[in-house]
Amino acid sequence: MSAVVPEVEVPASEDVLAVTEDVWMALLGDDAPLLPRTVAPGAPFDVAAWSAATTISGGWQGVVTVELDEALARRLTMRMLALPADEQASDSDVADAVGELVNMVGGNVKSLMPGPSVLSLPAVAAGRAAFSSDSALACRVDLVWQDAPVRVSVHVPQEGPR
Amino acid sequence: MKILIADDSRVMRQIVIRTLRQAGHGGHDIVEAENGRQALEMVQTEAPDLVLSDWNMPEMNGIDCLSALRASGSQVAFGFVTSEGSEEMRERAASAGAAFLIAKPFTPEAFDDALRSVI
Repeated sequence: MSAVVPEVEVPASEDVLAVTEDVWMALLGDDAPLLPRTVAPGAPFDVAAWSAATTISGGWQGVVTVELDEALARRLTMRMLALPADEQASDSDVADAVGELVNMVGGNVKSLMPGPSVLSLPAVAAGRAAFSSDSALACRVDLVWQDAPVRVSVHVPQEGPR
Repeated sequence: MKILIADDSRVMRQIVIRTLRQAGHGGHDIVEAENGRQALEMVQTEAPDLVLSDWNMPEMNGIDCLSALRASGSQVAFGFVTSEGSEEMRERAASAGAAFLIAKPFTPEAFDDALRSVI
């Protein structure tokens, strides 16, 4: 975990971790633990990935992003759809599943922060996440599940001159 | 009993159906809508006994769907299944006429408790 904290209210890394663990356990069960992963501050997500983001606006402003390893995104989708092992998840199913994942994490982060706010529909991409240059990293949680990396990050509007 | 599940995510609709089964409510007829507008139409055409709706959806969100239903005179039982479980959202849901709000991530027990309040 690491955080670069600007001068606005931001969620605690511990809270984002707890939210992520709750969502993860609900979706994937507890047969394998979600473990911390040590990543250098500022390091980009280092694997081919799916990414999804949702924006919170109103009483609190922020963007919650989830990035996932490709194989993990497909396993997550198969588990969420309860597909048999000999079937493949389509790209649209993966986009749907990853979008729902960030919706759950983002909705719970929104509940932790001052309101009233509005949660956007998720935006999903096959690839790494892109972050606006006028936002600052507030919180980042790097995790690993069955050797596959997962990253949850929260960005907030950057204050002051850039 | 007929249950209308409204969610723009096919994955989440599947999870809700599976969770209903795990909660001991697998014997109900299920119909599905992809957004609030479709749900609004299907309440007329399908006459469900209960609507389980996401909050954030394209075309029409869940709270606008519920408001439109009540404005049209429909008193169909309506519950939210949403990632937004704050007190503020629960109050908005209740004020609009929702019977309950199940926050994601959820458990079969949460579904059972909620459904027992309307069955």
